[in-house]
Amino acid sequence: MKLPSRRTTAAIAFVVAVAAASFWWLTRPDPLPATAIPAHTVDRANGEVLYHAGSCFACHKPPDGAANPTLPSGGTPFKTPIGVFYPQNLTPDPETGLGRWSEADFVNAMTRGLAPDGRHYFPAFPYTAYRAMPVTELLDLRAYLMGLQAVKAVHPPHTVPQLGLARRGVGLWKKIALARPPFAPASEGSDAWKRGAYLVNAPGHCGECHTPKSWLMIEDLRHHMAGGPHPGGEGKVPSLRGLVAREKYEDVSNLTLALQNGEELGYEDLSSGGMAAIQENLAKLPESDVRAIADYLLSLK
Amino acid sequence: MRLTKRTLAYSASLSIVVAGAWGAAFASDPAHQRHEAMEAVQESFKPLRAIAVKETAFDAAVVKKNAGTILEKLKEAHGLFPEGSAGGDSRAKAEIWTDRAGFDTAMKNAQAAAAAMAAVTDEAAYMAAMKTLGGSCKACHDKYRLPKQ
Repeated sequence: MKLPSRRTTAAIAFVVAVAAASFWWLTRPDPLPATAIPAHTVDRANGEVLYHAGSCFACHKPPDGAANPTLPSGGTPFKTPIGVFYPQNLTPDPETGLGRWSEADFVNAMTRGLAPDGRHYFPAFPYTAYRAMPVTELLDLRAYLMGLQAVKAVHPPHTVPQLGLARRGVGLWKKIALARPPFAPASEGSDAWKRGAYLVNAPGHCGECHTPKSWLMIEDLRHHMAGGPHPGGEGKVPSLRGLVAREKYEDVSNLTLALQNGEELGYEDLSSGGMAAIQENLAKLPESDVRAIADYLLSLK
Repeated sequence: MRLTKRTLAYSASLSIVVAGAWGAAFASDPAHQRHEAMEAVQESFKPLRAIAVKETAFDAAVVKKNAGTILEKLKEAHGLFPEGSAGGDSRAKAEIWTDRAGFDTAMKNAQAAAAAMAAVTDEAAYMAAMKTLGGSCKACHDKYRLPKQ
């Protein structure tokens, strides 16, 4: 075999270098500067409501047998089609948790999917939904988390093939996924309905499972909350549209009761597929918020 | 074709045989049988929920009867999970067989909760019994039942 000429080799090296540089440039992180964080008197009680509305604990719970089973120190394997993730420790431990995170670090994680060191988070962490939360709300949530007992928890690394490159590649995915405007609060409708729409679409990130995704793993908003394949790989996630027409629930009071009690009152659709853990978190919300969620959900035709 | 009495008789008996075989196939399918048993559990749960949400008044006789049916049907269903009966329309998770001891415990917890509910005679104890019973359904469904197919 004839070896490629020096000129060909140089040309190939040049093309590869340009491609690599373009990839690097296109996938660079774009964090919000610390100066963009407004002065805000935090409201921890509101932070707690958001913590439960987002069911943070459902994914960030510690593995079975942990010393502090009710604290969100993370580490329970989260299986996805691309690999297994070990969710972040959300307690204020300085070494393994959020202890050293600035307000800007937290806001960047929640709205831009960026770690404090600038690395991209995989969208298994649903910042696509959280980015619709106002910064003041995020600061309240952060304040709630920082007030929890610190737990030191070292997790295994995510088992995603080519983790480093894949992580950098998320930057390209963000170019498409985050180009779409985030959920925007409606200007019309009752206060309860608007509150429900916010809780469901922003902190609640219900669409992560209840809205089907395109091949690019971006929610297909034409089928907003219409259900789809279960992200765990087996079975389906039910549609949240037409819940009254399909005789799943009679009215707002009925759905509120179901969300507050789940299968403890025999609402068996609220178990299985991971929904039991979500329902347990929703049950911790003030009743007015659960009613607001029910009000909004029953408006989806 | 001219319908004679004989052809009619033949077709009728053939239909009976086919229908019978069809029925027998279902009846001997454990996944189908346990599903029926669980549907019966759900039906009996409804009057209990109505009491819990105060749609109907507490009635010890109603509680005893329905909790009794739940217990009986849960026991029946528990015996209908032989190895290899997952798949198809069944929502049974593989964990039922890979963690058989855990599954058996969860099923026994539900039966104990149903038995305790059947013994409730006053409204004060009712809500606690309801939470335990519903909670036992939830615990098992959370761990051992797939989302809808």
